[in-house]
Amino acid sequence: MNKFESEPILIIKDLWKSFGNLEVLKGINLEVYKAEVIVVIGPSGGGKSTLLRCINHLEKYDRGEIWFQGELVDEKSTDMNKLRTKIGMVFQQFNLFPHLKVIDNLTLAPKVVKKIDENSAREKAEKLLKRVGLVDKMNEYPTKLSGGQQQRVAIARALMMDPVLMLFDEPTSALDPELVGEVLEVMKSLAKEGMTMIVVTHEIGFAREVSDRVVFMDGGVIVEAGPPEQIFKQPQHPRTKEFLRKVL
Amino acid sequence: MIYALEVTIKSLPFLLEGALRTLQITSLAVLLGLIIGTFVGMARLSKHKLLRYPATVYVEFLRGTPLLVQIFIIYFGLPAVGLNIPRYPSGIIALGINSGAYIAEIVRAGIQSIPKGQTEAAKSLGMTYWQTMRYIILPQAFRNILPALGNEFIALTKDSSLVSVIAIRELLRSGQIVISRTYQSFAVYIAVALIYFVMTFIMSRIVRWTEKKVTVS
Ligand SMILES: Nc1ncnc2c1ncn2[C@@H]1O[C@H](COP(=O)(O)OP(=O)(O)O)[C@@H](O)[C@H]1O
Ligand SMILES: [Mg+2]
Repeated sequence: MNKFESEPILIIKDLWKSFGNLEVLKGINLEVYKAEVIVVIGPSGGGKSTLLRCINHLEKYDRGEIWFQGELVDEKSTDMNKLRTKIGMVFQQFNLFPHLKVIDNLTLAPKVVKKIDENSAREKAEKLLKRVGLVDKMNEYPTKLSGGQQQRVAIARALMMDPVLMLFDEPTSALDPELVGEVLEVMKSLAKEGMTMIVVTHEIGFAREVSDRVVFMDGGVIVEAGPPEQIFKQPQHPRTKEFLRKVL
Repeated sequence: MIYALEVTIKSLPFLLEGALRTLQITSLAVLLGLIIGTFVGMARLSKHKLLRYPATVYVEFLRGTPLLVQIFIIYFGLPAVGLNIPRYPSGIIALGINSGAYIAEIVRAGIQSIPKGQTEAAKSLGMTYWQTMRYIILPQAFRNILPALGNEFIALTKDSSLVSVIAIRELLRSGQIVISRTYQSFAVYIAVALIYFVMTFIMSRIVRWTEKKVTVS
C-alpha cells in the first residue's frame, strides 16, 4: 500500500509573506502526507525558515491558507498554543532552557501545558532520553553538553508533546562536523518510525537516504520539487542545477 | 567632645532600632516595587498600546518628579480627597511606587536580555505568554538583573531617609529625636551617616558577590 494514499496532514495554499517591503514568500503551495519526510534545500535567504515558522505560526503570514489535519488554521478561531503542541520544532541554535536541567527541559511543557503529572512526565522523559542516548545526562544543565547532545535533547523535548509533525530548521548547521552524525542518526530513526517531518538542511546525504521528497526553494518560491533521485540526478530548473553544483 | 561621644554611644541602641526600621521599610518598599516593576516592565514590552502607554507614563512620571513630592502627595494629599493612609503604610507605598518605576526599567532590560529563541522554543511547545514568562523568561531575567536589583535596594535604603519628614521613626528620624534631647547634632548626624554607610557597604559587597556568581554561569 502506498503510504501517501490518505489525505495530506498539511496543506499550504498560495502562502505569501513579506517583512516590510521585502517579499519573502511568494505563493508557496505544498502538501505533506502522513509519515512523509520532506527535505527543503535552497540558498540562504530563500525563505526556508520563514516557511517553517509560518507553519507553526511563530510568524504571521499575509495571504494564503494553511490546513492542518483537515482544519483551516485561522488566527481568529484556532487556538495557536494548542496547535503548536501538535507541531514540534527543532531550531538551529537548539534553544534549550539553560536554567533547567535536561530532565526539566523535557518535562516542563507537558506538565504546564498538558497538565501531565510529574511522575508520568518523568517516566516519558527518561524513555525519550534513552532513545536519543542521553539518559545519563538527565541531571545535567544544558550548557554542560556538547552541541550534538544539546540538539538531541531538543529533539526529545519536542517529542514529549507527541507531535504529529516535526519541523527541523537546519538542525545540524551550528554543529562541529564530527557531531552532525549523531543528530542525523536520531532524525533517521524518527523517520523510520513514521514521523512526518519537514527538514530544512544542507545535508544532501540525509536527503538522499531518508527523504521522500526534496523541495528546492529560492527567492520565496518553490522552484522545483520531487523525489530525491530526480532532484539530485536530473534537476530540471537551471537554478536548481546551479545550487546543486555548489553544494554537491 | 567626650560628652558628645558619650551621648552618641548611649543613644546607639535607639539609633540601631531606627536602622532596623529603615531596613524594614526599604525591604517592604522594594518588595512592592518588585511586584509593580515586574508587571509594568512586562507592560512596557507589550504589543498592546493600552498596556504599553500607561506603563510608559507611569515610569516617566515617577522618575521625573521628586520622591519628596510623591511622599507628600500620598501622606498629605490623599487625605484631602478622602483617602487616609496611616504614616507607615504611606511611607512604604510612596517608596514602593517610586522604586517600582526604576525596577520596571530594570525588569524590562532583563527580559530583553533573554534571547528570542527562548520565547520561540517555549511557544513552539504550546506554552502561553504567561507560561513562557513565568517558567522561561522571568527566571532567567531575574537571575541576570539580581545585581541591578541589589543596587536599587541600596539606593532605596538611602532614599528612605526622606520619609523622616512624615515622622516615621527610621534611622534619620531617630537621630533627630536624639538631637532634640541632647543638642549634639554634629556627633549624632555623623553617627547616623556611619550607620547608613555600614549598611550600604555590606549590601554593595553582597551585590558584588552575586555579580560574580551571575557572570560565572
Ligand atoms: N523577522 C524578520 N524581519 C525582517 N526580515 C526578515 C525576518 N526574518 C527573515 N527575514 C528576511 O527574510 C528573508 C528570508 O529569510 P529566511 O526565511 O530566514 O531564509 P532562509 O531560512 O532560507 O535562509 C531574508 O532576506 C531575511 O533577511
Ligand atoms: Mg534559515
